[in-house]
Amino acid sequence: MSKILLVEDDEIMPKIVARILPSSEYELDHVSNGKEAFEKLESTQYGYDLIITDIMMPYANGFEILSKVKSQPRPIPVIIVSNAGNEDMVMEGFKLGADDFLKKPIIPAELMIRVKRLLMKNK
Amino acid sequence: MSGILEILGKIYQSAIFVYGLVLLLVYALLTIFSRLAVSRYTRKNSLHQLDLLSSSPLAPGITILAPAFNEGMTIISNVRSLLTLNYPRYEIVLINDGSTDNTMEQLIAEFKMVEVDYAYNVKIRTHPIRKIYKSTDPAYSSLLVIDKVNGKSKADAVNAGINLATFNYFVCSDVDCILHKDTLLELILPVMQEEKMRVIAVGATLRIANSCEFDEGVMIRMRPPAQLLPRFQEVEYIRSFVLGKMGWSYINCVPNVSGGLGLFDKEVATRCGGYDHSSFGEDMELLTRMCRYAHENEIDYAIRYIPKTLCWTEAPATLKIFNRQRTRWARGLAQLMYSHFPMFMNPRYGKMGLIVFPFNFFFELLAPLVEFSGIVVYILLAVTGNINWPYALLLLLFVYLYSVMITTISIVWDQLSFRYYKSWWEVAYLCMTPFMEFLIYHPLIVLYSLRGYYYFLSGKKSTWGNMQRQGFGKKK
Amino acid sequence: MFDIQLPAFLEPVINTFRYAPLVIQLAMIFIVIAALGTLLAYFSILRNRYLGNRRDKRLAKLLPKIDSLIIDEVLTHPEADTLPADQVVLNLDAFQELPLDKKWARTALTERIIHFRRNVRGNMGLLLRSLYMQLELDKDAMKKMKAGHWEKKVQALTEFTSMNMSVADVTILPLTNSRNRELRAAARHAYIKLSKNEPFKFFDVVTEPLLMWDQVELLRIISTTEDIAIPNFARWVTYSSNKSVVSFCLKLIVHYNQLPAVPAVIKLLDTKDHYLRADAINCLGKLRVPDVEDKLVSIYSTQPLHCQIEILKAIGRISSGRHIDFLKLEFLHSTDFDLRKSAAKSLVKNDWIAQQVIEELMATATPENLRILKHCMNPLIKY
Repeated sequence: MSKILLVEDDEIMPKIVARILPSSEYELDHVSNGKEAFEKLESTQYGYDLIITDIMMPYANGFEILSKVKSQPRPIPVIIVSNAGNEDMVMEGFKLGADDFLKKPIIPAELMIRVKRLLMKNK
Repeated sequence: MSGILEILGKIYQSAIFVYGLVLLLVYALLTIFSRLAVSRYTRKNSLHQLDLLSSSPLAPGITILAPAFNEGMTIISNVRSLLTLNYPRYEIVLINDGSTDNTMEQLIAEFKMVEVDYAYNVKIRTHPIRKIYKSTDPAYSSLLVIDKVNGKSKADAVNAGINLATFNYFVCSDVDCILHKDTLLELILPVMQEEKMRVIAVGATLRIANSCEFDEGVMIRMRPPAQLLPRFQEVEYIRSFVLGKMGWSYINCVPNVSGGLGLFDKEVATRCGGYDHSSFGEDMELLTRMCRYAHENEIDYAIRYIPKTLCWTEAPATLKIFNRQRTRWARGLAQLMYSHFPMFMNPRYGKMGLIVFPFNFFFELLAPLVEFSGIVVYILLAVTGNINWPYALLLLLFVYLYSVMITTISIVWDQLSFRYYKSWWEVAYLCMTPFMEFLIYHPLIVLYSLRGYYYFLSGKKSTWGNMQRQGFGKKK
Repeated sequence: MFDIQLPAFLEPVINTFRYAPLVIQLAMIFIVIAALGTLLAYFSILRNRYLGNRRDKRLAKLLPKIDSLIIDEVLTHPEADTLPADQVVLNLDAFQELPLDKKWARTALTERIIHFRRNVRGNMGLLLRSLYMQLELDKDAMKKMKAGHWEKKVQALTEFTSMNMSVADVTILPLTNSRNRELRAAARHAYIKLSKNEPFKFFDVVTEPLLMWDQVELLRIISTTEDIAIPNFARWVTYSSNKSVVSFCLKLIVHYNQLPAVPAVIKLLDTKDHYLRADAINCLGKLRVPDVEDKLVSIYSTQPLHCQIEILKAIGRISSGRHIDFLKLEFLHSTDFDLRKSAAKSLVKNDWIAQQVIEELMATATPENLRILKHCMNPLIKY
């Protein structure tokens, strides 16, 4: 069972993601801002197999989460899911080590495939 | 002798009558205009989705300028909150104005800052910059920190920031202000939606932070200030922004974009020389100069205001600091009127010369003097037994009720558009404040203003006092 | 004055009023007005808060229901991933538990569906759309379209646009010429999104400037409409007399990387309008058209400052390495700071071939120029 952390301040997105990633195969934790994300990560000693995060959020943005996660001894793969259409922002994300980028609105199958692929790769 | 006195008395009486009447009328008009402006804003806002802009590659770049002087208590959480604003393309230029506390050290440690060779062009002269820092962590790549020699004024610090600003628009704020996360989206919108004119500045409503709850620089819960003095200021801010500035904005006559939060056209601001470090009211002074520049260069300009509260600032909670702040403001106003007096009633400066300037002159600058003289005359008349008490009291009651009504209406406009505060009980609490304002708060302002004018005339030296802060860092 | 019988306690007030001077009379009248005004103000605050709170409470109850219904009946529909959206039969009965006879509830549901669609597309997005249609939620918007007020029409148009509901051209077209700017803009956006024939027709006819905001909305609509045929925007770059349309088309050309449009853009370099020319140079740079560099360098000396900066930037973006000497000369001899900085930046962007030149410049530059070079070479500095 793979543990996934979803960081997203939109209230609907988590419900959609929960539907796409069935609870029989994935254990999905949802937090709605950067602060909670850090708290969660620290309390579990970064015990996640994958992080799905938005970019613009209160307290700490997705870039900070990325940067912190990627500086850990065991970097967790990160997918950015954002509505940012600004290329600079996407580039920035990849520069910080994001493993994938999905633009909102997402196609469910696409998210599923990419999640699976990243989890496979990091097994 | 007594004949002359009588004539003088008559003249004074009629002058005051006209003065009062015009003031009442202006406020009545502002009430109407502000209502129209507020509903225009709410209508537009409901039709346009802000997140459309936050995800667009066409969003214009904005530079945020945040001057800081000895803000060690709050600096980290405030920079963090700036880093999480909702906007796709912006940079933060933090200007450490020669702090003597550990502001700089904290920044370097928290955000992994290192010194860089930053090339910039000095378009506005300022005190020298010692070092410029960028973060080694790409997560903070939008942050730029300037460490400069203290210039003894906010103006000097912001000017240094303007020299380094990358984008065509800059937002000026105080580092101790808490901004709403959509601030940049909201402020740039009027610029992007303007059809014919060039929008050179945009402002938004400021509010008092004193009793609100913050958590690491994020606003959690809005409350009217519990203490009386800040609560007076909250009411005053609502009136002056939601009713005053919005009303003026409706006829494109905004007199001032508050130093707490404003977006400016960098080109115009730079061309006219940036902030004036010798001014005591540098925000209003800059705006006046920008308008002047626009008129002299035939730029068809507009200044816009937004009724939504985007910025919370800590208000002085003690009389001593409040006194210092208001004395300073009054002095700034006197300075401004003096140095830009050629604009007064000058048709060359359009609405600025014919409406904004005269209004400020008569009803902002002269008001404390007129009121003071009124009280003196009142006392004289009372002593000599020349007062018709019932009539005098009636007039007083009228002025009192009128001011209460105007203030209450401004709270209504504010409430109609956004329903701030959690319960109606808190609003009721706020609504009680105007009843005391007239008797307690207003006389204080008159007094402090006169003091400011006196300092202006006598040229007393004073630096801008640094306010003691409680800090928003922790939940209170 | 009046013959109405007044209660006795008002007698002294009336008498005072009657014999008072005009000023006092006015004051008395206004005292009453001000008192009433203040009371009215209290009342409207109370009313507004009451209505608002009621709405919030209702929504707080309704929204979770809506969400779970949408998730259970639409998103987790067993056939959602296998069948095309229009063949999936949705269980509409489940939605009858919502008070859909009330307008506010229908509005809330519609907004929620739109919100869902902002997060998810593909088959799920289409399913959400068919839910909207099958529950006949579009009827409200249809009614709004017929309403007189422009604001309602804009709301309806926005709703149709975000739900991708086709609307007849005859309904939208007259609105694109409305006297109200907001409505006009909304109608144009809807037309681009929903019209089956010639969605870009209005580029031909529009005479007023497209505002920056319009461009944001337009770009979003054009780039998110899936079945739209993207034309060659060179057409308007060449023929449109509306500068904002030309400028916007240049941005679209970049967005869609339309290399066939390059000749038209190059032709635009001859325009008299500086701003348009700067936009054209910017566009060529972003398209990385190497053949255009010579032309840009040759016109450089006659350009105003902002065009010169764009030329230097373009050479950096194209990075063909053929104009290192030009950049070097500009960097060394220009008197303007911004020109030198742009030249240095472009040199750095050409560093795959200009490495030696840069090193040479570093060794000999004045302190200020050295700082500029270091600035441009520092990976921590973005701009």
